[in-house]
Parts: sequence; structure tokens; C-alpha cells
Amino acid sequence: MTEFAPLHPGPDSRSCPDPVQADEIAPSLPPTESSMAAQVGVTSVGSLALAACGGGGGSPTQSPPTAPPVVAPQGITPTQASRFLSQAAIGYSKADVLNLSDSGINRWLDGQFTVLRTQKFWDFLVANGYDAATNINTVNGFDPMVWSQLMGSGDLLRQRVGFALLDQWVVAVDGFGGSWRPFAMAAYLDVLWDNAFGNYRDLMEGVSTNAAMGLYLTFLGNTKSNPATGSIPDENYARELMQLFTIGLVMLNMDGTPVMSGGVPVPSYSQADVSQAARVWTGYTHATSDNSTPARMRQPMAVVESRHETGATTFLGIAIPAGADTATARKQALDGLFAHQNVPPFVSRQLIQHLVTSNPSPGYVGRVAAVFANNGGGVRGDMKAVIRAILTDTEARDDSQANSTTFGKVREPVVRLVQWAKAFEVTSPTQAWPFGNTTSTANRLGQSPGRAPSVFNWFRPGYAPAGLASSDMVGPEFQIINEPSVVAYVNYMQGVIANGAGEAKPNYAALIEIAPDSQKLLDELNLVLAANQIGAGTIAQMKTALDTIAATTAAGASSRIYAAILLVMASPEYLVLR
Amino acid sequence: MDVSRRAFIKRASAVSLAGAATPFVLNLASIGEAAAATATDYKALVCVFLYGGNDYANTLVPYDNGQYATYAAQRGALAYPQSALAGTVLAPSTPLPGGAQYALAPELGKLLPIFNAGKMAVMLNVGALVQPTTKAQYQANSVRLPPKLLSHNDQQSFWQASSPEGAASGWGGRIGDLLQSGNGTASLTCINPSGNAVFLTGRSAFQYSVTPSGPIALNARNSLQGSTAAGTLLQSLIGGGGPHQFQNLLGLTGTRALILYNQVAQALSQAPATSTAFAAAADPQSSLGAQLQMVAKLMSVSSQLGAKRQVFFVSAGRFDTHSGLATLHPTLLTNLADALRSFYDTTVELGISSQVTTFTASDFGRALTANLDGSDHGWGSMHFALGGAVNGRRYFGINPVLANGGPDDIGQGRLVPTMAVDQYAATLASWFGVAASDLPTVVPNIGNYSGSPLGTNIGFV
Repeated sequence: MTEFAPLHPGPDSRSCPDPVQADEIAPSLPPTESSMAAQVGVTSVGSLALAACGGGGGSPTQSPPTAPPVVAPQGITPTQASRFLSQAAIGYSKADVLNLSDSGINRWLDGQFTVLRTQKFWDFLVANGYDAATNINTVNGFDPMVWSQLMGSGDLLRQRVGFALLDQWVVAVDGFGGSWRPFAMAAYLDVLWDNAFGNYRDLMEGVSTNAAMGLYLTFLGNTKSNPATGSIPDENYARELMQLFTIGLVMLNMDGTPVMSGGVPVPSYSQADVSQAARVWTGYTHATSDNSTPARMRQPMAVVESRHETGATTFLGIAIPAGADTATARKQALDGLFAHQNVPPFVSRQLIQHLVTSNPSPGYVGRVAAVFANNGGGVRGDMKAVIRAILTDTEARDDSQANSTTFGKVREPVVRLVQWAKAFEVTSPTQAWPFGNTTSTANRLGQSPGRAPSVFNWFRPGYAPAGLASSDMVGPEFQIINEPSVVAYVNYMQGVIANGAGEAKPNYAALIEIAPDSQKLLDELNLVLAANQIGAGTIAQMKTALDTIAATTAAGASSRIYAAILLVMASPEYLVLR
Repeated sequence: MDVSRRAFIKRASAVSLAGAATPFVLNLASIGEAAAATATDYKALVCVFLYGGNDYANTLVPYDNGQYATYAAQRGALAYPQSALAGTVLAPSTPLPGGAQYALAPELGKLLPIFNAGKMAVMLNVGALVQPTTKAQYQANSVRLPPKLLSHNDQQSFWQASSPEGAASGWGGRIGDLLQSGNGTASLTCINPSGNAVFLTGRSAFQYSVTPSGPIALNARNSLQGSTAAGTLLQSLIGGGGPHQFQNLLGLTGTRALILYNQVAQALSQAPATSTAFAAAADPQSSLGAQLQMVAKLMSVSSQLGAKRQVFFVSAGRFDTHSGLATLHPTLLTNLADALRSFYDTTVELGISSQVTTFTASDFGRALTANLDGSDHGWGSMHFALGGAVNGRRYFGINPVLANGGPDDIGQGRLVPTMAVDQYAATLASWFGVAASDLPTVVPNIGNYSGSPLGTNIGFV
């Protein structure tokens, strides 16, 4: 490997004659100083970009490199559509690829933003009888609920963004006690999913009054200082709200780089700030003491004002006067945090990491953060605008990134499984969705939705795996990649691809038709699963291997399909989304 | 090399992937032949990491009347009754100054016989530092401090790596760097049955992960859907890598997984039966006992694996006891004591107890002052080292003044450490065989302690 050189060409380095594409991209800000700097030394990337014009990912069936893309006026090529959906959707089918290819990105986004949720997490539990009294102390229904939502809903963008938010705003079903935990999780996940296209400030409010978060980060039951015993407020939520959910540990420039002083990053808060902020999160309790039904889990937490700290509280320059009640203190604290200069780059960078690339350029972060700070209409925290900015940015949409050695991300194991399910239209006739808990690194995915080991999630945005040639790169998802999990994933997928999970079966009808022609089969899988990012050389090897499996019988065709999907999903060219 | 492995390598080598030298092929050379070395002078270090920040005051509990009164006042409902501690009071060979006494939490009672046998030592007020630091220096910000104090992920990293999140290597791995060449299979120097931890990553040494039940076999290792060709290609893809840096890293991991599987699984199949029982986990969410059982099993076949020096990392979670401390923490300690005791007994049974040193570590200590029903993040803490080579039945370090706003805490009994993790690490590394001149490559700041009261070798092992 060569030394790290930024491989993120700015807008001006795009040399493909592709007016349609240009039209698709939302107006971006002028290049910042840092994004200009990032263009230095991209000559070789420029030539790669030329080779990639037309959206070809290397598949022999794509148009020759110099031919203009054959698409509708607003559209994009199927390869571009699949690549976009790999970033924007929790999973997608061939039909989704073709629809997006016709409509183009902005129209697709417009449509996704208006899709109503077909079923909330909570409603799944009720509809399937998990509110029966016998379930009060179980986690029955939890895994079916999350798989149903991720695999069974048509709102592809909301599912993807919701899941990205859960990667940051972590609550885990095993991480708190008490009754009706699946319902507590359902209400929490509904806050994330409902606000995915709303405003970040509303998300902060929704989470901060949610019982599951109150239980998980232990401020449900938190009480003001007691001078007699010396007890002090629990600092848990106050700390993690700042560290993980809003501003982070160090002061940030708008492009996400740390503010430095004397050669070291400037901390964004002190222990004194944490101790003061903890006073805000006192007085909370369940909405009602009645736990005979799960109802209280989706009501905002109630407050007991006598347990709320009423002395004057000051942190980060936010001054809450003595005597302020719980709601007032919360509003001032959240308003103050939301206005902090770190929020736009801190949140934008993590969303980019979850959707598009682990190592976004400062220019990319800065462009998205600017939209977070102001959507163009004076609104801060407009999630629709932020999502659009992330997904239409030139850095995300540059097809030549497929040839980069640094751009992109490792697909999360859960997203790989859901992608398979969506691609092959997995259904669960009785809503059992029996994929269960997929945490095991011995025989599952090493990751399971809503079951993170701590509030620090399965992986950290700053995780830097050993063995990368570039010492300044991070690779968050590598935190859950190791010798057992690499093999267990393949073993698990081998079984799931062939058998589904219980009643949840895939539909391979379209593949069975083309299975006798292994090249066609691979071309289809390469497009739908891998955005044509698996190179011709690897595809040729796969073809040779698949041709040893006769597809002349129905069983043979199925065998070939199973092997083909597994080879694709085990290939590094699939696993690293560029 | 066994036949199946040779055949696999041959098959895999025959398939050349797009892109130049793949890590899969490259790595074959570095992994080397199956080991034949004999581990006559075998030594192992075992780091037991308690994720979340273990509560020191309810682990090593103040017992003498003076300290207990402070403890009880600051802890309220969290405090163990003094009478409940009588059975686990530590009787060290050298008492602490001023009549200070501690008891193990009653749930750690299984460790008391190890302490009394002189095989377990207690570290007082150890924590993350860059250089010796007093409370006054902390308050005046006049010395270099570990960045991001009291933050979980960063202090986990600092304990393991002397640097916050994003650290490139940890001190367990850096010890591995120095000693892996003495092992028949260098790849089996740093082994982690609990996931990934920067502790075990060296500058050249990498960590090899197994599950608590061992390495995982690829189901399709012989054929996929009846096709040998497809099975072979699958393995090449898993080990194949590619030009992208992430692909390359995936390939390196996959290569280790596939190639080391046969060697490790075969060795484990020859592990001698041991009679020491490991109790069912007291904390159902913890696999600590199973992890340590796997460590013992791997140690028992160290000859077959050609290993002379190994560093292991095991862990348990849920120690972030902001709330519910009085109910949860005892369970976590029972789980810890069960696992440590069974593991120690197994090493005795295997006749290797003097070659294995086990030590605890955690994000940070917690506050002494309670919130309503838990304790918040702190800094310095109390830790244990145990093993046949340990200079046990002793305290090491300086007993802090337990207080809220006393001379040794930054408020609420969050202790300013008087023993650095670097000193703790350097002592372990020196026992393990790292030369004094090499210590700075393991713990870069160790030179800052050469003139300090505890020096660069604390002497507990």
C-alpha cells in the first residue's frame, strides 16, 4: 500500500461529460480551503474517474467506458442507482434499482420523505399479541419486531436513517431491567424512526423524555443532591448526552476537525460541567406506577418536582436559574446544547460515516454541517436537508470512488443480512420474522439490532483498526470484525441464503430463470447486491466455479444460485462499499 | 503441516485474485510451519478487563473504624455493613500504615485463599497518568494529563494503550512485538477470546481472536453446494483482500481465520482433561468464565502450539454502575471471583501457576460519594494481580485518603492515582521477560517514573 493521500476530488475535478448527473446533485457550497487542499495530487484519480464514466463498475455487460449513459432525462444508470441505494436504503430490490434509475435521486428522495410509516414498532408488538400479560417480564417479540421493521417495510430511506441513528443514540434491550422491555424499546425506536425526517432538536427532546433511555442511562429515578447524606445526582445521561449524542469531547471546527490549542485538542467540557448538567436530569420517573400494561413505556416520563434539583445550574455557559422546574431546565439545557457549535459537524460526520464513508473529507463534513446549521431557510437541524446533503454530495456521488483505496465503508453485518432479505423479497407470513438474536460471533453476525453491548455501540466512529496502511484512517466497523466473526458471517449466510429463517423465505424466482447462464446470474447479483463493484476478474473466477454446479435441474439451479449469492456476499469487493 | 492444510494452501495459491500480491498469499510465509518448539519456560500474561469502570470502594472495602466511617458516610445505602466484611478482611504480611485495613467485598471471598497463600497482591490507587501527578498539579493543570479523563471509551483505550480512542497499539501487543519471535507460531502470541481490544494489538504483532469455545471452522471449507471449486474460491475470497485498504485488512483477518483454524483446533483437541470446575456464570450476560476456561485450555497445549510467551485478554462488562449498584455489583463480583478462582485453580492443576500472571484492569475507578443508588465516573482504582509468581499477601502502592474533597481526590472521592498504569504494566512486562531497556517501547512514558516513590518496577511479581 502507498502512503495515504486524500482521494476525494472536489467538484471541479469531475471530468465526466454528464449533465444529467450534474443536475441531480444539489447545489453545493464553494469549495472550502480544506477541500481545495484535498484536490492536490488527484491526477491519478482523475484518470480513474474518466475510466469510470458511464457508471460501469467493471462488469463486462456495462456500456463501453466512453459511451454516454443511456438513461431517462432525470435518471441515472442502474449501476449508479444500486450504488446510491447501498448508501441510502436499508436494502432494496431490482425493482427499486430500476425505479430509482428512472426517477433520479432527488425525486426518489422527495418520495421517500413523504412515505408514511406503515407500522410502528409498538404497533407490531400489539398486533402480534406481545402485550399479553404473560410477556411482562420477557423480551418476547423484540427480535421479530426489529426484523419486521427492517426487512418488511417499504420506507427504505427511513429504515436506513433510523438504523444509523440507533448506531449513535444507543439503547439496548439487554441493558436495562424491569417490565415490558420490548415495549420500552419499541417506543424508543419509534422516537428515532419518527424523527428521522424531522428536526434534530425534536429528536433530542423525544429521547430525553423516553422511558427506555431513562432506564438505560439511569436518569429515570435520578434525584437531586441530598446535603444530609452527601448524595449527588447521577451523571450518566448528562455525560453521554454531551459526549455521544450532541457535542463530543473536543471542540470542533465546522468541517469536523478538532480545534487545537498548544498542539492539543480543546476539550468541549469539564467534569464540573458534567456535575452541573447532571442536576438537569433529576426528578424523572415513570409516567404511571401502573405496569399491568406496557402503556407507560410510550408516555413521556413524568416528573416529581420535589426530587428535581432547583438550585441555580450552570454548564457550558448555559445558566438555568434557581427554581426552574424540570421542563424549563430541560428546555434550556437542550436548547443550549443544540445551539453549540459542535452539533452540526459532530452529527453530520457520524451520519456520513454510517451511510457513505468512514473517512469523509473535511470538505464533505463541512458542506453537510453547513446544511445542518441552516437548511437554506434559516432552520437548524432539518434532517431531510441533512440527509439530502449527505447523499447528493459530490463526494458521495462521484462514481470514480469505486476505484479509491480509501473511500467508503465496510457494510455492517446487519445491513448485509437485511440487504439480502430485501433483494430477494423475504416475507414472513405469520410475522414471526424468526431471525432471532444475531449477536453470536460463533454462528451469527456478531451484531444484532437493538442489542449493542453498551452505549458505545458495536463500534465507535473513531475506531482505528490495526493493519491499515494509512495511520490517519479509521475503520469503525472493524471493531466487530475478527477471525471468528468473519467466518461465522459466511457460515450463517450460507444457511440463510439456502433456507431462509423458519417461515421467512426468499423468492429466487427471477434468478431461477437466468441460473442456467451463470454470467447472467452473476451480472444480476453484481448489480443488485454490489452495485457492480465486483470487478471482471473476480466475476470470471466466480463464473468458472459456478459452472461446476450443473443448473440443468431445479435443484441444480437452486444450488448454483445459493453458491453465487454467497460468493458475492463473501467477496471483499462487496463487503467494502465504495 | 497436516495434509488438509497443505491441500488448502495449494488450492488457495492456485487461485490468483484480481489485484497484485494478496495478503492471503503473502501471509502464508509469515505464519510459518506448524510449531515444534517446546515450551519449557512458558510464561503467560492474562489481562482481565472490567468494562464500564469498576467501583473500587465496593471491591476493596475500607474496614478499619476510621476508614469505614468515611466509607459509610459517603456511600449511604450502597455501603456494606461492617459486620458483613469480617470474613473477608485482608491480613497482609505487612500491615498498612496507621492501622488501615481493607476487606474484600464478601462476593470476592473465593479469592481470599489465594491472597492468604501469598499468590495475590492488591494495587492501591492505580490509574491512568502521563507522569506523577498531585491533586494540586491536576487542579493547576500544570502537568500533562491523560486526555479525556472520565470518558469510558477513551480511558479504556488509555489503560490498554497509553493513548485515547484511536490508539494504534496497546501494551499487551507491544510486549508481543518483543517476544513473538520466540514462539513457533508468531501469530499465536496475542490471543483474545472476548472480541477485539487495542490492548493486544502490537506494532507488528496482531491479535488473534477465538470465541470462548475456540476458533470457528468454515462450513464450506471442503465444498460449497457440492462444488470443490466453489469452496476453494470462497476461501480465496475470504482471505483475498484487494487494493482497498479495508479489503486488504478483511483479507488479513480472513487469512488468519482460515489458516490458524486447523492448527488451533487440532491442538485443542489434544488438550488434557482438567477436573477444576467452572461455575455457571453468576452474571448471565458474562462469558468471563468460559473465556478463562478457553485461555487455560490454550495454555495447556502451548507445547503443541509452540508458544513460549503468550498474552491473553479476557473481559466482563456492565461495571458502569451509575444505578442499581447494590444489586448488580455484587453479582458482577461473584462472577469475577468464580472465574478467577477456577482459572487459578486450573493453572495449579496444570502445574503452570507460577508461569501465569493474571491481573485486573478497568476504564477507571468510580466516585466514593454515592448518587441515589450508584456511583459515577472516577479515576484511580484498586486492582489485583494473582498467580504463582506474584509476591502476594501484600499491598502495593500508596493508600489514598478516602474522602470527598480530601488530599487525594478531585471531589466525590474520585482518586488522583498514585500508581500509574505504566508502572503496573512495566512490572508485568519485566516479569514476562522484557528487558529494562525495552520498556519504553512497551510503555513510552515509563521514564517519567524513574525517580518516583514506586519506581519503574513495583515488585509485585
